[in-house]
Amino acid sequence: MRGRLAALRRLYAVQGAWNFEHMLGIGMGHAAAPLLAELERESPERYREAAARSAAFFNSHPYLAGLALGSSVRAEYDAVPGAQIERLRQALCSPLGALGDQLFWAGIVPALVAATLAAITGGARLGAVVAFLVAFNLIRGWVGWWALRTGLASGTGVGAAIRQSWLPRAAAMAGIFAGLGIGIAAPLVAIWYLEPFGRAGAGAALVLAAAGVIGSRLAGPRYAAPRFALAALVAALILTAVIP
Amino acid sequence: MSIEPGTLVLLVLWGTLVGLDLVSVPQAMIARPVVAGTIAGWALGDLEAGVRVGMLLELFALDVLPVGASRYPDYGPGTVGAVAYAALVPGWINALGVSTAIGLAFGLVGGRSMQWQRHRVADDVHRQADRIAAGDRVAIRRVMFRSIARDAFRSAALTAGAVGLAVGLARWLVLAPRSAQTLTLVAVGCGLAAVIGGALRSAGRGARMRWLVAGAAGTILLAALR
Repeated sequence: MRGRLAALRRLYAVQGAWNFEHMLGIGMGHAAAPLLAELERESPERYREAAARSAAFFNSHPYLAGLALGSSVRAEYDAVPGAQIERLRQALCSPLGALGDQLFWAGIVPALVAATLAAITGGARLGAVVAFLVAFNLIRGWVGWWALRTGLASGTGVGAAIRQSWLPRAAAMAGIFAGLGIGIAAPLVAIWYLEPFGRAGAGAALVLAAAGVIGSRLAGPRYAAPRFALAALVAALILTAVIP
Repeated sequence: MSIEPGTLVLLVLWGTLVGLDLVSVPQAMIARPVVAGTIAGWALGDLEAGVRVGMLLELFALDVLPVGASRYPDYGPGTVGAVAYAALVPGWINALGVSTAIGLAFGLVGGRSMQWQRHRVADDVHRQADRIAAGDRVAIRRVMFRSIARDAFRSAALTAGAVGLAVGLARWLVLAPRSAQTLTLVAVGCGLAAVIGGALRSAGRGARMRWLVAGAAGTILLAALR
């Protein structure tokens, strides 16, 4: 099948037309077009139906969307009934969303960011940031390519292909690295920022940090860190202006 | 101190790319504050300011899970403005508090503006609904390009606003060193609260929590022995 590289490139913009109704749908339709080009030549009628299905509602983690794209395009070429392809896409939404969020947003990204922060506190600067970008994009690029290739190879059997792959195990493991990374980085960052302020200043900042953590535990989802910080900054500005 | 017009244009261009990166394209993580801030600092000729501001705003970004339709701040363009302020004020210790306020405020505005963007995309999709339902790839492509162009405009406007505010505050806001440094301490305290609170929430009660505690305890122990 031709158009794999073009589809992979377009998957980088799969959220380009994200909206509350189609979610990733339009981006998926855009990425599917190069893969469906041969079908357009073979059967324009089937192509139009396939293109419309590919742009319908879809949601998942963007980096794993290639699994759904590849499998549904394979199914279109295999002349699987349209209703079954729609069910396949819908069935993939939740697992791909959950696995991707666990692997990337709660795992790889915080782990790599934590490593970058720790490296910066150790004296690295631009090099740490460049290393972060290179490492992340190598992982993301490889996962994107694997996802598209696996989807195209497995078609309607993509669920079994995902279960038997490295993905569920890696998603479970990634969080541990993130936890360890943040655990190491947070104290280093605190020392790095607070060292020039002496014990009294550092103590005051740590008391404020503890108050924020306790506030976030008590208030639950209503707590928003940026709002707490902005309120604290305004209060501090007023207090320092009033108290001589 | 002032910023050269060419550098201002460069900052707005960088902020536009950073804003696009968060959701639209290519999600290469240049939208992370530690990246956006460091590069902005480098462009301004003050790498230290960029790293200090970017890293502090990163602590707030680590508290965010950018999942699906949830609302979350867009810290990237605001970070560029925050770094501009820090580069204009001598000494990060005097600049970090106000810089953080700029970054956070524009992060929240950026989050709101993404909701606006998503509704405009939905309007566009509605207008093209018949053509999309007929599998018209030209209509799909045009919706994509218009959406990305709209997001670029949103990001550029946010960055220009943040940088403009930063330049204005650096010129007009006169803070005594004691006030400025108190604000810096408050910003650092709140950043630590954000990252620790977020890490505890994500860790739950399983293996991740054990590794989080082990990492923190080991680092604190080593720092105390040093």
